[in-house]
Amino acid sequence: MYNLCITNDEVRRMQYSSVFTRQKMMRTALLALLPVALGSVYFFGWRHVAVGIAAALAGALAEYLVMRSINRDKAKVSEAVFVTAALFTLSLPPSAPLWLALIGMLFAIVFAKSAFGGFGRNIFNPALAGRCFVYIAFPAQMTMQWPQPFSGFPGGFAHWSAQLSADTASSATPIIALNAGGAPAPLGSLLLGATGGSLGETSALLIALGAAYLIYKKAASWQMMASTLLGAGLLSAVFWLTGLSQASPLFTLLSGGLLFGAVFMATDPVSAPNDKTVQWIAGGLMGAITVVIRTFSLFTEGMMFAILIVNALTPLIELKYRQYKQAKKARAKEAVA
Amino acid sequence: MADKAGKIINRQLFTENQVLRQVLGICSSLAVTNTMSNSLVMGLGLSFVTALSSMTLSAMRSIIPHRVRMLAQTLVIAVYVILVDLFLKAFLPEISKTLGPYVGLIITNCIIMGRAEAYAQKNPPLPALIDGFFSGLGYTGVLLMVALIREVLGFGTVFGMNVNFAGFETWTIMLMPPAAFFIIGSFIWLLGARAAKKAAKTAK
Repeated sequence: MYNLCITNDEVRRMQYSSVFTRQKMMRTALLALLPVALGSVYFFGWRHVAVGIAAALAGALAEYLVMRSINRDKAKVSEAVFVTAALFTLSLPPSAPLWLALIGMLFAIVFAKSAFGGFGRNIFNPALAGRCFVYIAFPAQMTMQWPQPFSGFPGGFAHWSAQLSADTASSATPIIALNAGGAPAPLGSLLLGATGGSLGETSALLIALGAAYLIYKKAASWQMMASTLLGAGLLSAVFWLTGLSQASPLFTLLSGGLLFGAVFMATDPVSAPNDKTVQWIAGGLMGAITVVIRTFSLFTEGMMFAILIVNALTPLIELKYRQYKQAKKARAKEAVA
Repeated sequence: MADKAGKIINRQLFTENQVLRQVLGICSSLAVTNTMSNSLVMGLGLSFVTALSSMTLSAMRSIIPHRVRMLAQTLVIAVYVILVDLFLKAFLPEISKTLGPYVGLIITNCIIMGRAEAYAQKNPPLPALIDGFFSGLGYTGVLLMVALIREVLGFGTVFGMNVNFAGFETWTIMLMPPAAFFIIGSFIWLLGARAAKKAAKTAK
């Protein structure tokens, strides 16, 4: 059995640089998430900041223990664990309890990341895999309770947590309200983020700010973001015009986790494809699957499943594309000869 | 050729456990481990079938032509599976109902065919009986461990007895077969890592 306790001697040797691998790209990602995180405090209070810090600590400890059992003394924790913790926490509903966040985070790090061999080897986005696990394990906490955001000044900065409204009709996300036959939420509030929803997903504007920073720093591929939005927008336009869906393309793009997922999750440098062409295919597929799930399934949201499905397909798409390119090259050579 | 009984037992329960080390019988391990009682009945049923079919096939091994042995094995196994199915229907109708098609599907469990091919073919009836029975018990043990985790987290019960405490939320995912993937996967992971560690030590 493994020795799961960390000895005093080990603690003494522990300095930041000996435990963590420094990753510049991950720091950029954290900075890009800052506007979204501040926005989520403004809308839903401070509580989830504490939840996020707890998740980050639990995740780092879990990764250290697993990596130590694989690599012995050379075990290091990637700084990506903090990005995973931030993304995971921001993808939770504001009222998600602490224990739920810890379970999801541990699942993300132990099964979605370390079991594959640690940073750089996971095929699924760890934050989303963790979210998917708790989403299926605890559907009540993940899909039923949506506190309404704070507004005015100082908003949630003066509050610990957002209150759940007893009236279920007023505590719904825009998509749930629309599916229930209500009017679509005004685009203005979707843009600013004054709607119910998961912590980080409500404000399109703040997400766009993070996206701009990521693209400026070349830390994420704009092709991936653009193709996802394009795929979702086009398919939802088709469904909207044919009357299959009540959601207009603009509503589809701005509501739910689509934007947050497209900017921060789909572009995850590990699980996303490298080739630009494959990125367009994968992104388009992600957007399209999201719209299909939202329109035809019992789930209100589709982005999480779409990204995980495409994560699973990405190696296959990459392989097929490479073979296609090689065959084309061979044909061209033959034609010359 | 005949192994010592203790050696066979140790091999089947631990070092070469059918589920964890050979990764056989996974389908039913995923399907019936939602409660402890289902797992126990399934495991005992499988132990019975594996033990007796191994013994029978071992006794018949010199008269079965090599080319039709698979056919003969399937027929013998089917006889014992039908016995188990009828027994459950007669005496444990409730559990028979919850297990549904999985009792009949014991015949497709790779462990039985695996033991018949790998062991009963080349060994006398008594060792084959012991080998078959304890490979089934090894399977039962793993099933019970998986079911313990799934039943406690999924229903908050152990063998149907309530162990819930205030503030505990049941995990819906534990009621679904995929949960067993993660649990069995973790077991295999831990055992594999331990075996690797041991191998590294002896290599030194």
